[in-house]
Amino acid sequence: MTTAPVPGPSSPPNSHPLPAEAYERMALVLRLGLGVALGILGIGVVAYLLQNPGASSSDVLSHNPILTYLHLSELVSGLAAGSVGAVLTLGLIVLVATPIARVASGLYYFQRGRERAMTGIAFIVLVLLLLGILVIGPLIR
Amino acid sequence: MDLALFVLLLVLVAVLAGLVGSLTGLGGGVVMIPLLVVLFATSIPVAIGTGFVTILATSSATGATYVRDRLSDIRIGMFLEIATVPGALLGATATVFLTHAHLASALLIALGVVLLGTIPLVLSRRHVEIPALGPQGPVARRLGLSGEYYDHFLQRDVPYRAARARPALAVMFSAGVVSGMFGIGAGALKVLALERSMNLPMKVSTATSNFMIGVTAAAGAGVMLSAGYVNPIVAAPVAIGTALGAFLGSQVLPALRNRTVRTIYVPVVLALAIEVILRGLGIA
Repeated sequence: MTTAPVPGPSSPPNSHPLPAEAYERMALVLRLGLGVALGILGIGVVAYLLQNPGASSSDVLSHNPILTYLHLSELVSGLAAGSVGAVLTLGLIVLVATPIARVASGLYYFQRGRERAMTGIAFIVLVLLLLGILVIGPLIR
Repeated sequence: MDLALFVLLLVLVAVLAGLVGSLTGLGGGVVMIPLLVVLFATSIPVAIGTGFVTILATSSATGATYVRDRLSDIRIGMFLEIATVPGALLGATATVFLTHAHLASALLIALGVVLLGTIPLVLSRRHVEIPALGPQGPVARRLGLSGEYYDHFLQRDVPYRAARARPALAVMFSAGVVSGMFGIGAGALKVLALERSMNLPMKVSTATSNFMIGVTAAAGAGVMLSAGYVNPIVAAPVAIGTALGAFLGSQVLPALRNRTVRTIYVPVVLALAIEVILRGLGIA
């Protein structure tokens, strides 16, 4: 292991700090994504309860509508028809997409700072995430 | 149970899970999953699928606050995600297959043992409030894996430097596999790697772990979602409750002394490890 000199208390800890804007944007991405996802999910739950006033928890646990709306065309037509299952599925998709958008945001700032190694790392992470959702998941469905 | 009451109870329990998850860096899923099975009678695969939702809500809620306060180290988190994401993809894929092979119980016992193993390591450093700045390995130095944060309790800037990147990557890959298999944040393992291998302060470790678990969970969630193991009627109230609890937790963390965070961490991990083992043995 290579030993590096230990900086003094006032030395800059990192010669390539990310700009303050990067931290603020990533925080915004997370806050917005979560807010939108929870808003959609909240509307979906309330709508489901209103549509099913006499339902019990066992009805919910025995019926999972998720697979119906995982194809984009079915999700769009479900949303157009006002399906509660489609609304809830959309909320879950936004929730999953939020940290992925954060990785994309990191990729942008590392690329803008011309940090080749960190840009490459962020790109690989992003590709792996998309691979899992778009390829691996559907393959083993 | 009446559905409205079921939903209300899910939200309340999820608030508690989110609070504990964000304070410890565990992510909330490890609390929520056993509770879903025991209290809400969901199947284990659906509980695991919902666990990912819990993690996503916790990480996004706390991540926003920690990132804004510079407690999360984006560079270190992003670097280590290159190990956790493939681990999570592998883990979630394995779970889909193992669920059909009825081997989930043995895996739960293994998880409990791993969690128990982290406790002596955490206890062994209980006296360390802020680790001393040490030498960096070549990878950590090349990528500039260092930083500083303002400690509200100590009322000063605290510099830190990541030490060894390679062992941290190995632990993070394992954490990704565990996270993907069980729908938990595997925050215990992530905090372990950040604190022990990388020699980071406890608060930075906890905040960076929270920051990372969302991406790890997104990898696992994608697989489980498309495999049909996320029930949106269960997951939606859990997401809402967890986010609320995690937000409350993140407001409290910056004002806590590192030692206090550690004191919360140990009993929570111990209780959950025992719970997971008992579940694996079919006792709980």
